[in-house]
This record gives sequence, structure tokens and C-alpha cells, in this order.
Amino acid sequence: MKYLMLICTDGVSTPEIAATMQEHVPSWAEEMKGRGVRRFGLALEGLGSARTVRVRGGETLIADGPFVESKEFIGGLNVIDCENLDEAIEVAAKHPVSWHFTIEVRPFIDYAQQPGCAPESDPVDIDPSSARYLLMMCLDGIPEAPEVEERIMRDSVAWREQVQASGDYVYGHPIQHANTATSVRVRDGKTLLTDGPFTESKEFLGGFAILSCETQEDAIALAAKHPLARFHMIEVRPFFNHGRNG
Amino acid sequence: MVATAEQAVAAAFRDEWGRIVATLIGRTGDWDLAEECAQEAFAQALTSWSRDGIPERPGAWLTTVAGNRAIDRLRRAARGAELAERAAIDQLRTQDSDYGNDPDADEEEPDVIEDDRLRLMFTCCHPALALEARVALTLRTLAGLTTAEIARAFLVPEPTMAKRLVRAKAKIAAAAIPYRVPPPELLPERTPGVLAVLYLLFNEGYSASAGDALIRAALCDEAIRLVRVLAQLMPEEPEARALLALMLLQHSRRDARVDTSGDLVTLEDQDRSRWHHDEIAEAEALLADRGIGGGGWAGTDLTIGTYRLQAEIASCHVQPHVEWRRVASLYEALELAMPSPVVRLNRAVAVAMAGDLDGGLALVDELAQRGELAGYHLLAATRADLLRRRGDLQEAAAEYERALVLAPSETERRFLQGRIEELGSS
Repeated sequence: MKYLMLICTDGVSTPEIAATMQEHVPSWAEEMKGRGVRRFGLALEGLGSARTVRVRGGETLIADGPFVESKEFIGGLNVIDCENLDEAIEVAAKHPVSWHFTIEVRPFIDYAQQPGCAPESDPVDIDPSSARYLLMMCLDGIPEAPEVEERIMRDSVAWREQVQASGDYVYGHPIQHANTATSVRVRDGKTLLTDGPFTESKEFLGGFAILSCETQEDAIALAAKHPLARFHMIEVRPFFNHGRNG
Repeated sequence: MVATAEQAVAAAFRDEWGRIVATLIGRTGDWDLAEECAQEAFAQALTSWSRDGIPERPGAWLTTVAGNRAIDRLRRAARGAELAERAAIDQLRTQDSDYGNDPDADEEEPDVIEDDRLRLMFTCCHPALALEARVALTLRTLAGLTTAEIARAFLVPEPTMAKRLVRAKAKIAAAAIPYRVPPPELLPERTPGVLAVLYLLFNEGYSASAGDALIRAALCDEAIRLVRVLAQLMPEEPEARALLALMLLQHSRRDARVDTSGDLVTLEDQDRSRWHHDEIAEAEALLADRGIGGGGWAGTDLTIGTYRLQAEIASCHVQPHVEWRRVASLYEALELAMPSPVVRLNRAVAVAMAGDLDGGLALVDELAQRGELAGYHLLAATRADLLRRRGDLQEAAAEYERALVLAPSETERRFLQGRIEELGSS
């Protein structure tokens, strides 16, 4: 069972917190890789470089900032493969970000249950150094008519195949509804869980795609071609140091 | 007396519902299927038992029928995807198909089934679910209350409650919340969560701030039933038995707590003959058990659980003469383990009742100054009561007035009004 682990911080770090991260994140990554849990993880650039892309009436609308304004924001992600939610919680609670901030754990949508969707390559095979930009598909939670949803699904697959063919696609996956999210915080040695995403908002993350294009303009242009840009919104953010930190 | 089929089905429903649902979830992994098949089995029992007589082991009969229903449904669903479902069907078939009309039959293997109920409890109370969802799920799947009943108990519209249940079950499936008793290293973290949900259920029924009285009484009964199961299934967990004792002691006074006109009766004025002394005796026996640190708490063991301390306090209150000094020291220990202004308020009362009125009032005044309980009617009511006992009648009356404004229920307002009138006439 794969889960997306969203690393959420408020961007304000004290020297103590920075030291904790420096000391514990590498050993966490090593332990989880050794256990076969961690598939890959990448940090993102700050919010200053975040853009949201929408296409309305054939026109591409680009705005500064993340898809949701909140105290904590998504600063990175990990893909983990766990036996069940208890293991995912344990893995998140060992990550030092959960000791100071929040880690959201969200299950992947199982492709086996989505007829017509070819499975992606296993994320263990991806080369993190090729990861330049992250597209975050932000849904507003209001379902479209079934035939429209079906078309979005078909067009999403076609979009992926196209970007794969042009060599810009690294990896991506849809994730389950925000209703299935669990937010993990560790305080005073106790693991505290919240039913729901790291921040309450109308919009929520519904999936992601990692691209290897050279510039953010290229990534934005690809995002604008994604069917979800027409109905919802896509946030485009560069990976920290262009992915050379994986 | 020969029970009618309807009585037998009603009794079996109380005793067996949770067990059957838990077993079916364990074997199929499908919560909705489990609930629906259990429901159908009880419906079939109504007709079959009045026609053919009541089976010797109704639980086994119902489990078998519900299991067969599940097989039928899975078979129908399996036509398209036969291989995927075959494993589930094979697993269902392995269950004991004998349902107790053979007098030589061995007792049902309890381990498997008992485990399923415990698994269901821990899954319903999983901390990744919202607290309100844990409570609703426990009542639906373990206690068999209908969605409408649960909605009425918590004063929410039925569609809201239905949505809450659907969402919780969807999360369990989609996020892979495991259907299991947590491994030993997780138990110390997870067991208190299960106990907390059961105690919340009980308090929802007990405090009766609003809502349907019958449903609320059912909540207390179900909470006691479930904590009794938990105490049986986790004999090594002292707090489960302590919580059972605590609930029994509180519940034993249900008929004496409110008088014929619906007014609250304070403990000292209650008609003790209306207490359920069999329940008190059961609780006392649980507390006397050395296994849960019993045989008299000496005030020195700081590792003692908070339910144990609360049960000891409740036990003091049902004795013919309340040992207030002991109550005060129990509250002191409870405050150490679980610091809270409400616990401190109760400690203040005990200190005052133990003879140190000034000491008790000092604690209350300190609480009032800190402002943590501002707006809590029992702070004002307690202060009023202690002032009255000290003879400061005018000040007491003013404090009762303050409490009256804050009191949330009509019963409590009538009680406070009565106190004010007594003071006026004295």
C-alpha cells in the first residue's frame, strides 16, 4: 500500500530545529530505505516560486502563491510503501518534521481498481536528479457530472502519455480524497493524529506529477494542457536545488 | 418461563450482534456486507424461530445464517470476478456450520470469535478517525444501534450521522486502517483510546443534558456491556476492569438521581433503597481484586490508573458513611495523574466535607481567580454550597444566583432555585 507523505512546515525555523533536521532526516531516510518503506523523497523550493495555473475559456491564468494560503504549507514529499496505516503513522512519527510541524499521510488511489489506467513505473526506479518541477493537482471537492469525470480521467491518461513521449515525465500518481488523510504530529513524545488534511480548506490535493523540464515556463505550459487545469487548478513549484537533494 | 421467539431474538441481538458483525468483517473485510448480512440473519431468526423453535445456541445459529448470506452475496458478486472473491468464500466456509441442535456439540471455539470483537473495538476506536466517528461506529457495529438511534442520541440529523458512518468506513478501507488488535508495543498507546470512547458513550447517556431519555439510557447500557466485553477479553488490562467498576457504580444510582418530578437529587439526599445494590456489589468485587491494584488504595502508588482512582472515589460515595478524607486524597492523586480544574473543584469539595471548610473554599477561590472555569455553573454552585455550610448565607445566595444564570439544564436550574428559596426562608 503506497502513501504520499506531505512534509508541512510553517517555514520559520529556529537554529535548534534546523540542527534537529540536519541530524535526523538523513538517518530517517536511510532507515526507511533499508526497511523498503521509503521509495523517494524530495524537498521543494519556498512559496515564493509557487504558481497556480488555471485554464478558463481557453485562456491560461497564472497566479502567484500556493493553492491554499495557510500557516503551514507543503515543503516536500515522500512516497512510502507500508503494510497499513499504522505503519505509515509510525514512519511519519519518526520523521523529525512531525516533531515540530505536521506530516500528512494520504493513500494512493489503487490503479488496479481503476480500469483503463496503466500502472506507472515503480517509484523506486525514478532518478531524483531528473526531478525539476512538481505539479500539484488541486481539486475543489465538487464532483463533475459522471461523463465529465470520465473524460477528465481519459484525458489525464492521454496527457501523461504525451508528456512521457516528449521525455519530460518522471513520475506521478493520483491520491485518495482528503477525507482519507491523517495528519501526524508528535508532541512531548506522544503521537497525535488528526482525521483530515494538514489544513482545512475547500481545495485539496488530488494528485501530483513530477516533471523534468528545464524551466518553470515549460512546466506551466505542460500544466495548462492537463485536463484538471480546465476544471480545477494546478500548482507548479520547483524542487529544491532542482531535485539534486534526493 | 418459555421465551417467545421475539424475546429470544431481542436477547440474541443484545448479546450477539457485535460478535456476528465482528466475525463477518474479520472473514470478508467488508463492513457493509457484514452489517447487512447480520441484519438479515436476525430477520430470518424471527420467522424461523417462531416456526421451528429457538435453537440451543442462538449465537451459533445466527452466525451460520449470516455467514451463508455473505457467501450468497459474494457468489453473486463473484460471477464477474470469480477468482478475486474465491478466497473470501473459502474462508467463510471454514466456519463451524453446526449451530447447536446437537447436544453433544462442543462449545464454540471462543478464541477466534472473541478476538474478532476485540479487533472490531480497536478498529472502530482507531485514533486516525475523528472522535465523533469512533463513537458512532462503535455504536453501529458493536452495539447494533441504528443510524437513526445514534443520530437521536447525539442530536444530529440522521443524514449527517449516516454520512459520518459512511465516511469512517470509507477511510478504514481506503487508508488501510488494519482490522486487528494492535501489537503489544502499540497497546499502551491505543487501549486508553478505546476506554475513552466507551466512557464518553457512557457519559453521553449519563449526563443527559438533552435528547431522548430512552436512547440515553441505552447508551449507558451499551457502554457497560462493551466495557464488560473488553474487560473479559483483556484480563491483563486493569483499567478496563476499573472502568467497568466506575460505570457500574455511577449507573447503580440511576433511579435515585432524579425524583418523580424530574429534579436532580444530590447524593446525600438519595433514597439508597433505590440504588441497584447488585451492581454496586459487582463493582466492589472488581475493586477488591488485587490484580488491579485492589485491596485498598493506600495513597502511595502513583502508577495507579485514572479510571481506578475515579472508581475508588465513586466507591467511597456509595458507602453508608463517606470517608471524605480518603476522597480528598484520591482526588489529589487524580489531579496529579490528570491535572484539570474540574478535578481540583471536586477535590475542594472533598477537602471541605472532610472538615476543612476554609481549606476547601480557598481552593475554590483560587480556581475562580484563575478564571479557567469561568462560565461553569458548578464552580459557582460549589462555592455557594460551601459558603452555605460555613453559614455565610447572604454570600451563598448571591453565588447561587450566579450559578442559576449559568446552569445549562432546566433540572439544574430548578435545583438551584430550590436552594435559593431555602436560604430566603431560613
